[in-house]
Amino acid sequence: MNKLSLKFLFCGLLLFPLNIWAASCCGGGSASSLILPKLGTAMIDYSISYENYDGFWNTEGDHIDDPKGSDLNQYRMTLGFAYRLADRWQASIQVPYVWNKNEYTGIKSNTNGLGDSVVGFWYETFDDVKCIWKITNWKSLIPAVYVGSSLTIPTGKSAYSGEVNNSFDVTGRGSYRLDTHLFMEKTVYPWSLSLQMSYGKYLERPVNQEFGRAIEPYDKQLGDRISTSLSFGYTHFLESLSTLSFSTSISDLRERDGEIDGMKDPSVLGFKKQSFGLSASYSSPALDWIYKLSFNHALHGNGRGENFPTTDTINLGVSYVIR
Amino acid sequence: MLFAKLKPLLILLIAFALYGCNEDLNPSDSDDRPNVQAGSVGHYVGQNSADFTILGTLGETINLADELLGHDAVVLYFTMWCPLCDTHMSSIRKSVKPLFPNVRFLVVDYVSGSTNQSRSVQFSNGYASETVIPDTEHVLLKQFDATMGSTIVINASGEILMNEDYKQSKIISVLEQ
Repeated sequence: MNKLSLKFLFCGLLLFPLNIWAASCCGGGSASSLILPKLGTAMIDYSISYENYDGFWNTEGDHIDDPKGSDLNQYRMTLGFAYRLADRWQASIQVPYVWNKNEYTGIKSNTNGLGDSVVGFWYETFDDVKCIWKITNWKSLIPAVYVGSSLTIPTGKSAYSGEVNNSFDVTGRGSYRLDTHLFMEKTVYPWSLSLQMSYGKYLERPVNQEFGRAIEPYDKQLGDRISTSLSFGYTHFLESLSTLSFSTSISDLRERDGEIDGMKDPSVLGFKKQSFGLSASYSSPALDWIYKLSFNHALHGNGRGENFPTTDTINLGVSYVIR
Repeated sequence: MLFAKLKPLLILLIAFALYGCNEDLNPSDSDDRPNVQAGSVGHYVGQNSADFTILGTLGETINLADELLGHDAVVLYFTMWCPLCDTHMSSIRKSVKPLFPNVRFLVVDYVSGSTNQSRSVQFSNGYASETVIPDTEHVLLKQFDATMGSTIVINASGEILMNEDYKQSKIISVLEQ
């Protein structure tokens, strides 16, 4: 494999920031984004993740511990597939399966179900290589830019789906969401810097039942979602041409206040979460198999979040790229 | 060529996604509330609540009938001390309670296994001034078919006026009746 192919395959694959979405009690289980490397025709992605809850930020931004003796966890298995539609266009689908395992001193619960699925489309604004070995002129500083859109489909079980009897059963948020994404990456080997920004809008939906109980119908609109993630990475090339990559990222996720029947209501209050991530990945010499391990830690400090659980997440994944 | 080979996998993935078909994919706005017989006892809106007697975290005895004698209504909020519950309880404390001084607000903790545990989390989460009921045997949870965020409003006649997820606008309009 020549160096050009290697660069093309590698770019945009290993340093893509992990976009973790937590909270079983709030309807977690949604998948993260999936991007196919430039020279790939298709990619199959499989990952498992473990998320442990460790308190939450209240509406004032103060961090509150979970009740003593409680142990709240969510496990996710996500199957993804990305496919190149044209030279610059690609599509992907991700389907998660979720297990909620919650234990308090007075109640235990083990439930599982499909999470919310994501269908995405990405457009690559470039044809030539943007990962470089040496800066030779100003053009070599131009980053790889991806523009995308995704639709979150409420395939999970929400409080309004008629399939759950209590909050422990929830595996989805129950609303469609349309996101637009911008992803920029610049690699000057061995260093990489990437920035991801997303803006999501939930579609309003009618609700006529909660936890399997019919109620007076109303319209629910969750607030718009904004997420930003900055990642910095280092790539080490092994003698066999396999690669080892490490990255660190900081992420900020916010959701604005939602509405009930067109009016703001504290029952759909927005939230904020700031987190820190570390990831490592190994790519086989042929660059077709990629193994990924990542850790994401919500920053517990007061003001680092609002109205949201603080969690630690470990994710283990493997991708197979078809050229 | 390759797409043709991979198409079945894509179809399989989509089929897998749609396997989770539920009412969230095509939500309904029809009013499916059951007709209940006025005066019957149960947990539905329009039914009368069964009486209950239970101890609070401070050892106080709480009897529904007694509470209704001295108040315009009783509100039960079911908490699991999560961020959403905190948001709801904060909303009740700041925006609802001041509007209805003669309504009794009770927080039901159904996740703590003991009164001591419940009192501990009540204080550490900043709700020392509220009346918290440790529902360790899930008596109230079962009686009202409740879960996290369930909000029950019972008027002075013992009739259930609301039994659903907390919504500030809804509880205010119900209590104003």
